[in-house]
Amino acid sequence: MRRLRKVSVVNPLESYLRNLTRRELFQRVGFGVGGLALASLLKKDGCWAESPSGRAATGGSLPGKSPHFAPRAKNVIFLHMIGAPSQLDLFDDKPLLRQNDGQLCPEELIKGKRFAFLRGHPRLRGSKFQFSRHGESGQVFSELLPHLSGVADELAIIKSMHTDHFNHGPSQLFLLTGFGRFGRPSMGSWVSYGLGTENQSLPGFVVLITGSVGGAGNSMWGSGFLPTLHQGIEFRTKGDPVLFLSNPSGIDAADRRRIVDTVNRLNQKQLADVGDPEISTRISQYEMAYRMQSSVPELMDLSGEPKHIHEMYGTSPGKTSFANNCLLARRLVERGVRFVQLFDQGWDHHGGLNKSLPNKCKQVDQPAAALIRDLKQRGLLDETLVVWASEFGRTPMLQNDRVTGGRDHHKDAYCIWMAGGGIQGGVTVGRTDDLGYFPVEDAVHVHDFQATLLHLLGIDHEQLTYKYQGRQFRLTDVHGEVVRKVLA
Amino acid sequence: MTYRTKLKGITGFKLEALTDPSLPGKGPGRHAAKNPNFVLYEFTVQANAIGDGSASVAVPLHGAKADYSQGNYPVVGAIDGKPNTAWAIASQFHKPHQATFLTRSPLGDEDETELTMRLDQHYGGCRTIGRLRISAMTGEPSAAVLPDAIVTILKQPAAKRTAKQRQALATHFASLNPKLNQLRERQKELLNQIKNQPQLTTLVMVEQEKPRMNRVFNRGNFKDPAEKVSAQTPQVLHQFSPGLPRNRLGLARWLTAPENPLTARVTVNRWWAEFFGRGIVTTKEDFGTQGERPSHPELLDYLAYELVNHGWSRKSVHKLIVMSATYCQSSRATGKAWQQDPGNELLARGPRFRLSAETIRDNALVVSGLMTHKLGGPPVYPPQPAGIWRHVGRNEPKFLTSVGPDRFRRGIYVVWRRSAPYPSFTNFDAPDRAICVVNRSRTNTPLQALTLLNDPAYIEMARAFSKRIVRHGSGLSDRQRAEHAFQLAVARKPQADELATLLQIVRDQRERLGKDKTRSQQLVSKADHDAKDLVELAAWFYVANILLNLDETITKG
Repeated sequence: MRRLRKVSVVNPLESYLRNLTRRELFQRVGFGVGGLALASLLKKDGCWAESPSGRAATGGSLPGKSPHFAPRAKNVIFLHMIGAPSQLDLFDDKPLLRQNDGQLCPEELIKGKRFAFLRGHPRLRGSKFQFSRHGESGQVFSELLPHLSGVADELAIIKSMHTDHFNHGPSQLFLLTGFGRFGRPSMGSWVSYGLGTENQSLPGFVVLITGSVGGAGNSMWGSGFLPTLHQGIEFRTKGDPVLFLSNPSGIDAADRRRIVDTVNRLNQKQLADVGDPEISTRISQYEMAYRMQSSVPELMDLSGEPKHIHEMYGTSPGKTSFANNCLLARRLVERGVRFVQLFDQGWDHHGGLNKSLPNKCKQVDQPAAALIRDLKQRGLLDETLVVWASEFGRTPMLQNDRVTGGRDHHKDAYCIWMAGGGIQGGVTVGRTDDLGYFPVEDAVHVHDFQATLLHLLGIDHEQLTYKYQGRQFRLTDVHGEVVRKVLA
Repeated sequence: MTYRTKLKGITGFKLEALTDPSLPGKGPGRHAAKNPNFVLYEFTVQANAIGDGSASVAVPLHGAKADYSQGNYPVVGAIDGKPNTAWAIASQFHKPHQATFLTRSPLGDEDETELTMRLDQHYGGCRTIGRLRISAMTGEPSAAVLPDAIVTILKQPAAKRTAKQRQALATHFASLNPKLNQLRERQKELLNQIKNQPQLTTLVMVEQEKPRMNRVFNRGNFKDPAEKVSAQTPQVLHQFSPGLPRNRLGLARWLTAPENPLTARVTVNRWWAEFFGRGIVTTKEDFGTQGERPSHPELLDYLAYELVNHGWSRKSVHKLIVMSATYCQSSRATGKAWQQDPGNELLARGPRFRLSAETIRDNALVVSGLMTHKLGGPPVYPPQPAGIWRHVGRNEPKFLTSVGPDRFRRGIYVVWRRSAPYPSFTNFDAPDRAICVVNRSRTNTPLQALTLLNDPAYIEMARAFSKRIVRHGSGLSDRQRAEHAFQLAVARKPQADELATLLQIVRDQRERLGKDKTRSQQLVSKADHDAKDLVELAAWFYVANILLNLDETITKG
């Protein structure tokens, strides 16, 4: 049979299917996303007792390979630090680098290498910040992260991350879409495509932004060749949180209710007349739109949160801040949003690092730690994966002047951390050399990290595919190995 | 000469200079047997309606035509008011001549009209008309002048006319049709314009004299070059004929060679998909081994053949498709039929599918009457929420919302930034164009509902639509207005219950808004805040908003 399909959906979520058009759905049966899973769902849905497309069913044998394994996490909160924080000033303590501060960088490290900005023979730069061990696990943090070090035992820190690109845009794309140029679906889109959403009045993939994103722009949450349904929806903190959410002036909620009712009544009549089930979907989507008009503002309104929560996160209602976004992220996963992506700009410290990095840390450290604590106290941390990452790291070499300090882009080694669902808290994975230049133990490539993230959600990264222009595409291309050491 | 006539609607006068044996050389002038010319300097007409006591007035004439005019004596000289210009007929002597002159507006009313005509023939030497006949013409005046050839044909009994003669008559008749003549003039103008148009070219590339050397890049890495390669067409397809030039022209010829059915198949398949919402080969972008098989291979080949056979005329294939019984079917079907064939692969019913993102906007613009049909030019910037373009990049170019007609141009003219595409388009499945997507998905989401309900661009359209409904005709009933609006939105008449639903909304809102000027003003555009029909505009806004949101409005079929 020509159309052997890999089974790639782990968990057939009905809500996901409700969001698809029926036609799309049947097209999909012939196209890649888990024929088996959909087929089983079709049987559940009384309307479609038989496999209606006929195509997927011809030839009979859908492959019996079972990719299923129990998901360790249901939701993801992905905190992306746009610009790339210096791992050497936050997590990866290098005494030898400090000792050699101001020395010329060993030639073998820079021979044949290209950097975004560094030219000539750069000098080494040791961190000016103090490091110490924290928690029972004794994880190492710098003094800039007093709150995160308080949840040290929840975090798995990967110190041996490396990537392929040293410019922001391509590297952001590489981390989030698995490919360094435009056009591939983002991680959140893949997850939405594979798992769907559990909330009928909110999108499955939500994006929250502080600062401008620049670089790869909205391709970081775009759906590429996947149906646009799976693209991330930006919840804005100015104007309508979701575009076109609020009614025009002169139309109040009662008016809108009546207009939606009338539209639906006329559509219902059309449905009776023509019979196209698509009309029935449209009617339910107008209902959902109406519900979103109250559910989204309710979600975005932080004023109902108790004082101790605001103190914990450092939030103030109505403000645009990373802290507010962290609290919103919790509220989103509470409501079943599958993938919440936060972007925070301002980490690209080529110069002025000594002053700017502490400032950025003050904005992020407390709310990120609060998010973990808050999820935990609500019993949500077990099913929510929290990731703190960036597109690359920063060089062990100095850029710009010695007084204010600065580091260039570094793709060969950097740090990320993960916490929550399925993660072994308190572990450090990987090690870099004494200057923090290359991984020397358990190197984790971006594709490995992606495979791990999907794994935690119960998805085999080799099986989540979409056929486009004649071949099956994957988030991890033809690479990726799950990083077992972070798994609980 | 003074005449009285009861003719009504006189559109012109005909002057005939006839021959007569009594005249020198038979005439028509009186000058000399060898040269029986006449010279008519001026022909004037005065008209006076009898009985109403008014004075006679000069009748302005124009459109002078003659069967023949002497070189420096054109017939127009006889009515141009100049004393030194005239109509004469040398050297066409010894035969009758005629001239016609048209009135600016039809002459003669209910009563009798007195006409006073004056012919000024002061050349001297008896160069005057020998036998004069004057006729007043009604009806289509241009038919009055008949060329000799036509007269000859007409003199024959109809039954005896040859095919050629009948054709000549038809051609002459057609030549007198003023509408056709206007079109001919226009055609001539346009052809001239085309002829004078500078040849527009777009420089795509210039062939290098010596082709550049190219290498394969290992895994696409430009820093890792592998073996040298040169241009060649895939071996699996038909041979690139050795006679073809090895450049773009050769490639084009190879693509369209008779032994290559693929180009035509791929092309007609895309058109088919536009019309039916699904291709005969559903993987429009992929006709290779990884693509889907065609659902109707013979049909695909037939259409491809028709395309090539009609000189690659796209119109011929479009006509063939849209005039087919298959396309003309209704999209109504039973629940069972929808279940059995949800994608309409078997074509047992007409196509029914949601319009594309750009077309949904175009359609709403047309329904609301706002559409600007201007062609070409730089992109336009329709209204969109603030803050979208902050993803555009470092320089953050300003999004300067178009004002005036540009605001309402078709979707294909809307500016496109990959990093910040027009949000109402992406909500309806337009890809961000970072990558080529031939097969767009067609989803059905709440964000689409929110877009049509609340996007300020669609609110603007609903306001315009409401205005179009309210200000259409005068003295129309609510029912007539609702029918008109419904027809505009979905191209059919509403059924009784549909109409009743809309009318109820209008009545309720009219009553409510009549008492609430502020709210009424919020629902109309600023320009209409003090309009007399403010309440009407506001009440019908609801109907407009509803109609623009119907599934049927955004769905084809």
